[in-house]
Amino acid sequence: MRRATREYLVFLWRCGRIAFVGDWRYYAWMGVLTVICLLGLNAYAKQLVHGLIATGMSDEVSWGVYIANFTFLVGVAAAAVMMVIPVYIYDNEELHDLVIFGELLAVAAILMCLAFVTVDLGRPDRFWHLIPGLGQLNFPASMLSWDVIVLNGYLLLNVHICGYLLYCRYRNVKPSKWFYIPFVFVAIVWAVSIHTVTAFLYVGLGGRPFWNSSIVGPRFLASAFTAGPAIIILALQVIRRLTNYRITDKALLTLRSIVQVSMLINVFLLVNEVFKEFYSGNLHVASSKYLYLGLHGYHALVPWIWTAIVFNLVAMFLLVLPLSRSLKWLNLTCVLCIVGIWIEKGMGLVIPGFIPTPLGQMVEYRPSLNETLVCLGIWAFGLLCYTVFLRMSVPILQGRLSKANEGPGRPA
Amino acid sequence: MSHSDFPPLQGEPAPAAGMNRRSFLRTSAVLTTGLAALASSLRPLLELEDYTSVEQFMQKYYKELTPAEMAKVLKRIENEVEKQYGIRPQVRDLRPMDGVEFVYALNLTRCIGCRKCVHACVQENNQSRNPEIQYIRVLRMPHGSFDLDQSEHNYAPATVPEKGYFYMPVQCQQCRNPPCVKVCPVHATWQETDGITVIDYNWCIGCRYCEAACPYWARHFNFTKPSIPKERLNPEMSYLGNQPRHQGVMEKCHFCIQRTRAGRYPACLEVCPAGARKFGNILDPNSEVSYILRTKRVFIQLKEELGTSPRFFYYFDV
Amino acid sequence: MDEHSPAEDPGPPRKTNLVLGTLLVGFVALAAAFALNLWGRQAPLDAIPLVDPALLDTATNRRSYADLVRAKEDLSDFDCYTCHEKNKAPTLRYDEHQNLLIPTEHSDIVMGHGEHGRNNNCFNCHNETNLKLLQTRDGRALQFDDSPQLCGSCHGPTYDDWEAGAHGRISGFWNRRLGAIKRQDCVNCHNPHAPAFQGRQPAPGPHPLHGPMVKPTAESGH
Repeated sequence: MRRATREYLVFLWRCGRIAFVGDWRYYAWMGVLTVICLLGLNAYAKQLVHGLIATGMSDEVSWGVYIANFTFLVGVAAAAVMMVIPVYIYDNEELHDLVIFGELLAVAAILMCLAFVTVDLGRPDRFWHLIPGLGQLNFPASMLSWDVIVLNGYLLLNVHICGYLLYCRYRNVKPSKWFYIPFVFVAIVWAVSIHTVTAFLYVGLGGRPFWNSSIVGPRFLASAFTAGPAIIILALQVIRRLTNYRITDKALLTLRSIVQVSMLINVFLLVNEVFKEFYSGNLHVASSKYLYLGLHGYHALVPWIWTAIVFNLVAMFLLVLPLSRSLKWLNLTCVLCIVGIWIEKGMGLVIPGFIPTPLGQMVEYRPSLNETLVCLGIWAFGLLCYTVFLRMSVPILQGRLSKANEGPGRPA
Repeated sequence: MSHSDFPPLQGEPAPAAGMNRRSFLRTSAVLTTGLAALASSLRPLLELEDYTSVEQFMQKYYKELTPAEMAKVLKRIENEVEKQYGIRPQVRDLRPMDGVEFVYALNLTRCIGCRKCVHACVQENNQSRNPEIQYIRVLRMPHGSFDLDQSEHNYAPATVPEKGYFYMPVQCQQCRNPPCVKVCPVHATWQETDGITVIDYNWCIGCRYCEAACPYWARHFNFTKPSIPKERLNPEMSYLGNQPRHQGVMEKCHFCIQRTRAGRYPACLEVCPAGARKFGNILDPNSEVSYILRTKRVFIQLKEELGTSPRFFYYFDV
Repeated sequence: MDEHSPAEDPGPPRKTNLVLGTLLVGFVALAAAFALNLWGRQAPLDAIPLVDPALLDTATNRRSYADLVRAKEDLSDFDCYTCHEKNKAPTLRYDEHQNLLIPTEHSDIVMGHGEHGRNNNCFNCHNETNLKLLQTRDGRALQFDDSPQLCGSCHGPTYDDWEAGAHGRISGFWNRRLGAIKRQDCVNCHNPHAPAFQGRQPAPGPHPLHGPMVKPTAESGH
């Protein structure tokens, strides 16, 4: 037992050490990300001292870019596991060795989600009030309590799956099916659940007619399964360029077809939403009017949402055309998807729910400099984590970092 | 990529021992400055004062406090307030009375939109003056419409009431089916037996989910340290009511719990010059609110279709 | 078709040194910038003036005769017969448009009780045979402190509401067992000669935390 622990610690130490070793491009990338992280940390320290007045939020618009990014990233975390479905259910060969990169992306995304929620809290020191047993978790009534459970569970699930598979590969030992296959299947269902629960956070609020609609859940999933695989398509090409890990174009095209179908569904759902809001002419559509057309002279979000719609439509057309089978066009399409959906889910969902207020007041929102730095810091932190995960996992998967070359005597 | 891309891993032959040492020094120099930057980035935390104390951090949930523990908590709050404002308050924990369910009735024929209730509430309940927190928001509505999107919050005419409008003050409706209670992830807000939805300010984590859930925009957040001028502090306080709140927690109208649980009328009612506000125990058939709900033909609960079942009734003199 | 990137030459250690050197300098600069707190200082909040304490006053507009009696104040103004003759009803004078002409001795009274001069006769309410009393339309004489009954003799539904507590102002204890209430009389709020309320200046409106970002166009009015 002690020997097994020591061996595991050696493994962790070597993984940790390799994260600090690389070529000049690696140092430059990690250096820049670290600088951005520190800027974000400093901005958060200021927010902790002065309170959330350091952001652009107010009683009128009480959730902003933190929760917007959180919502987007839960979708990415859910969709990263999309690759699991073709591999484990349809036995797709091409994607088989790439699934782990999706799961590692899910871990990085969940870490970012947890960070975004923490920086949004007014009293983060009281986080222990959320721990069941110790605090007073309001389960099952509060959808936030569900979110706490499912997000942390999803994190543990993916950390286990990735950690187990990588450690087995490191030891050159065949992984035992029972230790990971059931978890993978649970993860598929769990992935859908994390994003549905996050959608239900909004849907369940009767006082906000913009959110209180049954289309929000399906829209979330459709947009997540567009943006998530799009990110993975780009990430895999970066991995392919920087290492010689085997990633076929066929794998990328399989992912492309997932993005294609999801984007078609996403646009269809958008059409449904717009029709429902505007055709009947009832009075509950003030938020939609504000978002798409401007209301009472306030129109800050109008250019953003139309940009997102244009991006989504262009991406959709490119996806159905064979043109996007060429990587150059595919990459452009992926970028359009990611940006369009990020705008849609952030500014297009969270902010309009607050404008006008339930009492009809119009107050707009703009993130402050501090808030923006915190967001950039958390994104940089997520990219940092993902880079570190890749830096550790690629050599392990390629056999270059393994127990066999641990070397005699003392560990590194 | 070939193996020579990476500095040698443990076990692989090192090209030259000298280069290894240099690269080690190089890396640790960067790491050290990185750690220095990390430490320096946290410099603003030096200004963090009175964020929390050990007792505040460890304080149990309101419903779990024994009477002895509650007495200690109240004493601690009195000490904290005295330290900050130089005035020793009296903080009590008033419990609900049996056989009481509070109901508020507001006469829309009479309200003139003077906003005295807003400021009386602020004074009674120790709300922050800057940034401004006000539990009551008076809406100016156009004659004949209840569409809240037509409301005006910032009316400032020379005199009120203005022709062609009516005025509707909105505050926490103390709903029978409160959405805020449902969504709070830590049970920091709940409904008491006398109908008041209360907040344990020392338990709230400040996630603002309740603020998103409230259909009446009744819940307010302390975006920074609240500021109350010393000379305007109301020293008669209660734990669930008007004890001064801290940065990062929610607050809202609680029907002046420190007054109403002692049998008195709320501050907004007492100051209203038109007598538009009525309050009392709906379970008492002789109360004025029972009379109103029995005799007035038309009364309205805001956003009734949401199923919140507010305990706030707007009525007219017909 | 797989695309392999050509086996990358890491470049001479010079490039790595350059990058690491830049990072070193960058971190030091960053540490200094943080220590000097060069940006992100919290701007002071715009001043919001404290509300005038007069707006927090719960006193009524007017004091009734009963209040004056209770406060043992000077009631000589109410001794009508210092000027009027006993047993002689004062004469009312009207102009050519049937408007009541107020004598200079009572110039503080402004008539405005009902539209179109409906209540232009002082003796609709005042008792002409005994000026120290009031009278209802059916001839009942009332003391000045019983004035609500006079008002109620015409304004029936409002009087019922007032009695039940639904009209007018009550202060004190909703729980009558724990304390007394003070119920205001009609004349505590309404001037019996011109009962309609005058307008008043409203207290200041709300100050939002970050203020409206965009100046709305003229049509909005928000």
